[in-house]
Amino acid sequence: MIENTEPSSRLVMIGLAVVLMAAGVYLVGTALRQDRQAHTTPEGFTSVARGGAPVPTSGERGSATPRYRALRETAVRLPAAHPVSARTLATFYERRAYPGASPQIPHAVKPDMAETGNSCLQCHAEGDYAPRFGAYAPVSPHPELLSCRQCHVPQQVEEVFAETAWSTVRPPSLGRAAIPGGPPPIPHSLQMRENCLSCHSGPAAIHEIRSGHPERLQCLQCHVPAPGLSPR
Amino acid sequence: MTTLDRRQFFKRLAATSAVAAAGAWFPGIVFPQWLPLDSGTESLQWRKTPCRFCGVGCGLLVGVTDGRAVAVKGDPASPVNKGLCCVKGYHSVQALYGKDRLLRAQIRKNGQLVEVPISEALDLAAQKMQETIDSHGKDSVAMYGSGQWTIPDGYAASKFFKGGIGTNNLEANARLCMASAVTGFLTSFGKDEPMGCYDDIDHADVFVLWGNNMAEMHPVLFSRLLDRRLRHPKTRIIDLATRTTRTSQAADHAFLFRPQTDLAVANAICHEILRNGWEDTSFIERHCAFKSGKTNIGYGLSDSFKFADQPQNSSFKEFRKFLEDYSPEQVEQLSGVPAEGIRTLAALYGDPSRKVTSFWCMGTNQHTRGTWINNLIYNIHLLTGKISSPGNSPFSLTGQPSACGTVREVGTLTHKLPKGVVMNPKHREFAAKIWGVPVENIPPKPSNHTVSMFRALDRGDIRFMWVQVTNPMVTMPNLNRYRNGAKQDGRFLVVSDVYPTPTTEVADVVLPSAMWIEREGFYGNSERRTQHFDQLVEPPGEAMSDTWQIIEVARRMGHGKLFPWNKTDHIREIWSEYRRFHAGPQHEMATYEELRKHPGIRWPYVNGKETRWRFNTKHDPATENYNPQGPESFDFYGKPGGRAWIWLRPYETPPEMPDSEFPFWLNTGRVIEHWHTGSMTRRIPILHRAVPSAYAELHPDDAQAQGIRPEDTVRLVSRRGSIELPVSINERGRPTRGQVFVPFFDESLLINELTLDAYCPISAQPDYKKCAVRVEKA
Repeated sequence: MIENTEPSSRLVMIGLAVVLMAAGVYLVGTALRQDRQAHTTPEGFTSVARGGAPVPTSGERGSATPRYRALRETAVRLPAAHPVSARTLATFYERRAYPGASPQIPHAVKPDMAETGNSCLQCHAEGDYAPRFGAYAPVSPHPELLSCRQCHVPQQVEEVFAETAWSTVRPPSLGRAAIPGGPPPIPHSLQMRENCLSCHSGPAAIHEIRSGHPERLQCLQCHVPAPGLSPR
Repeated sequence: MTTLDRRQFFKRLAATSAVAAAGAWFPGIVFPQWLPLDSGTESLQWRKTPCRFCGVGCGLLVGVTDGRAVAVKGDPASPVNKGLCCVKGYHSVQALYGKDRLLRAQIRKNGQLVEVPISEALDLAAQKMQETIDSHGKDSVAMYGSGQWTIPDGYAASKFFKGGIGTNNLEANARLCMASAVTGFLTSFGKDEPMGCYDDIDHADVFVLWGNNMAEMHPVLFSRLLDRRLRHPKTRIIDLATRTTRTSQAADHAFLFRPQTDLAVANAICHEILRNGWEDTSFIERHCAFKSGKTNIGYGLSDSFKFADQPQNSSFKEFRKFLEDYSPEQVEQLSGVPAEGIRTLAALYGDPSRKVTSFWCMGTNQHTRGTWINNLIYNIHLLTGKISSPGNSPFSLTGQPSACGTVREVGTLTHKLPKGVVMNPKHREFAAKIWGVPVENIPPKPSNHTVSMFRALDRGDIRFMWVQVTNPMVTMPNLNRYRNGAKQDGRFLVVSDVYPTPTTEVADVVLPSAMWIEREGFYGNSERRTQHFDQLVEPPGEAMSDTWQIIEVARRMGHGKLFPWNKTDHIREIWSEYRRFHAGPQHEMATYEELRKHPGIRWPYVNGKETRWRFNTKHDPATENYNPQGPESFDFYGKPGGRAWIWLRPYETPPEMPDSEFPFWLNTGRVIEHWHTGSMTRRIPILHRAVPSAYAELHPDDAQAQGIRPEDTVRLVSRRGSIELPVSINERGRPTRGQVFVPFFDESLLINELTLDAYCPISAQPDYKKCAVRVEKA
C-alpha cells in the first residue's frame, strides 16, 4: 500500500531521482560541450566514440547517438532559409546514380589538390550558409571520413563518353506509414547515413522529407528500418 | 548545460519545428535521368563480390534485381574496406551497361571487322593458332593476359600454353606494374608477396609512402591511414614523391626528390641509421645476410639485351663502407631532399618506440632500377628489425584486382609455373603430374617477357597473339613501334574484351567477354586475400567468360582432355586442382566452400587460420620454431639459413635524362576516377564527366617561363613521338620544376607514344615514370 510506505524509503527514492537527474544533466552537458569540437576530435571510421567507449568494429557503424549530437544541435539551431528548401528530393536523386550512391559535387572545387578534410568540411560539417551558392550546405552524414574526393567528384562536362543503358530501381516512395499518422519506416540502408538529421532536418534538409520534429533525438525509437534493407 | 544554453536550445527547437511542420510529404516523384525499373529498393538482393578495379580488393555488396546489377554499397563484413568504397567502386556496376558493349564476336574480312557467331570466331582463332604452330613452331604463338584476369582465367591459360601447347610465351600486363615487386621479394626474401597485411595499418605509428599517391590510387587504404591518425594522434604520414598531390596535402611531411634519386635517398636513410647506431644488431646478426650484385646493369633498350644478376656474399662491414657515399649532405645535392629531411626519415625509421609501415607501388616498380629500390626499402626495415610484426611492414601495394591472385600466384609469366619456375626440373615434374601431361611438354627455358614479346611480334618471331582483359595498344611504352608491329601483314591478333578499344581496332578476331560478376571467379588482392564471387547477372549477347573462351579454343586444338569440365562446375574444379599446387603451410589456400562463405581469406590458411604475419614465429606455421605463445622471432625460410638478404645496391642514372633538346622529365600515371586505359571507367557517366580528357601538368614557374597559361594547349615531344594536350597548372597535382605529368587513361591522347621502353634488367618491368620531353606552347 502506498500510504504505508516508510518515509525513509520514500526519501531514498526522492534522493535517488535527484541523483539520477543530476547525472543526466551532467552527461548531456558534457556531451554537448564536447560535441562543439566534434569535427576536430580524433576519431575515425572504424572508430572510437567520444569519451573512449569503443564503437563496434565489425564494420557496422552502430548507433549514431554520441557522435552526431553536434550535428543534431546544428540542425535544430538554424531555421530554414526559406519555407521551401532549395534542396528537393528531385535534385537529391539527380545527383546520384542510384538510390544510395555517393552524390556528385554540384559545384566547382578549387583548388583541385586540396586536402578535402580541411576544405569540404568547412561548410559540410555543420551545414553553414554558403553565400557563394546562396544556400545552406548539406550536412555530411559521415564527417569522420576526411578523404571526401575519394567518393565525391565534381562534374566538368555534360556529355558522356559513350551512351549508357544503365537503369536502376525506383527510389523509395513516400508516405509509407503502416497506419495513417503512424511513423513511416526508414526506407534506406543506414550505412554511412546514421545521422538522420543531415538530410531530414536543418536548413539544407530535403524539402519533401523534412522531419516535423527534429527535437526528438531518438529517431530509431519510432522509425524502424523497413524489411529487406539488411545487407544479407 | 548552462541556463542560457537551455533557453537557446528551446527557442531554436520551437523555431525549427514550426518551419519543419510546414513541409509536406510528396509521394510519387519521377526522376527522368534514370531509366527506372519496375522494382523499388525493397526488391534488391545484396550479393558479395570483390571490387572490379584496384588491388586493394574492397568487398562490395552489389544490389541485384530483375537480372540487373543496379546499386553498390561497401560490404561492412569485409575487413579490407569495412563498408567504405571509392567513387569507382560505388559506380563500378555501371561499367557493365555501356551501349557499345561487345555483344557478338567479330572477325576481320577485307579489312573490316564484321560480326559473326562466337563459335565461328573461336573456330578461326583455333585454326589460325594451329596453322601458325605448324608453320612457324610453338614459340610463334603467344598469349598476353592481365592482372584483371580471374584466377581460373590465368590457370586455364597456363595449363593450355605451358602444359598443352608447350610454349612459355605466356605473359600478363602485370609485368608492367608489379614485376619489380616480385623480383624485389624474391631477391630479398625468396618468397613473393607481402609478409604483412592491412592489419598493419591499425598498429603502425609512421607511414612512409614511397612515390605512391595513395589518396588517389589506393583511396580506401588511404582513408584507413587517415582514420588511424585521427584515433592515434602520434601517427605521422610522410609523402616521398616527385610530384605534389592530394597525398602530399594530407601528409604530415612531404619531401620531393628528383626522379630516380629514391635509390640514393634510401641508402642515405640507412647511412644515417648506422651513423646513429639505430640499427637492431641482434636482429641483423640472427636474421640477415649481406649480398652484392652486378652494377651498371643496362636498360634493356635493344632487342638482343640479356641480363642475369650474380649475387655475391658481402658483409655488414662492406655494407657500412658502401654507404659512406650516401651521407645526407651528398644525397641532398643529388636528390633535392634536404639533409634534414633525410635525418627526419632515418629518425622515424630508427626510433625503437615507433612502428613503421612503408607503402609503395608504381613509383618504385616502374623504374629501370625497380628491383633495386624494392631491395633498398627492405634494407631499411631489415636494419631496424621492423618487419613481419604488427605495424612494422614494408608493404608493396598492387595495382590490379588480381595481379597477386592470378599473375603472381598462378604464375602467368614466361618463367613461372603455378608453383615454382620452369627452369627447375622438380617444379616442371610437379606441374606435369597435376596437369596430367608429359613433363617434356613444359619447356625448361623462359621465352619472352612482355616487352620482348611485343618486340618479337614486331620482328615476326611471334605471329599469333591472343590478348585478354588488357589494352596494350594504349599501355605499351614506345607505343608506335608495337602498334605498327602488330598491324603488319602475317600477324594474327585475337582480342577478348568487353568494349571496343584501340587494341580491338587492330585485332583480326574480337571475342566478347563476360566481365566480372557476369561469371563466377576469384581475385587475389595485395594482402594475400583470395576472394570468390558468384555470377550475379547474365552476360549480354554472346559474351563468354575468358576461362571458357580458353577452354573452347583448347578443345578445338585437341587439348580437350586438359579441361574435362562443364560450364557449371569448371570454376569449382579449377579451384580444387589449382589448390593442390599450393598445399603446405607456406601457401595453403582455403577451399572453394570456405571462400564462397567469407569476404576473402588470406593465405597461408592453415588449419582454418589465416597467417597475418609471415616469417614471424608467433604467427606463421611455416616457420621453424612456430609457437603462438612463445617469444617473437623470425625465420625467413625463403632464403638459406632463414636469413633475409640486405643488398648493396647503388644509385645509377636512368637511360634518358633531360638535356638541352628535351629539357623536361615526363612522368605518367593515373587519376582516382579512371581505371587504367579508361575502357570501363570512361563509360561510367559520373567518372567521365569528372575527368573527361588527359592533360599535361606543369609546375607554375615552368609554365610562366614559357608563357603558357592555364587555358593553353601544349605540345609534348619526345624522341619517339609527340602529342598535344590541354595544360593543367596548380590543379590536381604539381610536378617539380622541370617535370611534366600526364595521365594515361585517354585513348585519344596516347601518352605512351612518347614513353621509353627501357626496363629494369632484373624484373623486365618498363619505366613509365621517366623519359625526356620538350614542352612547346601549341
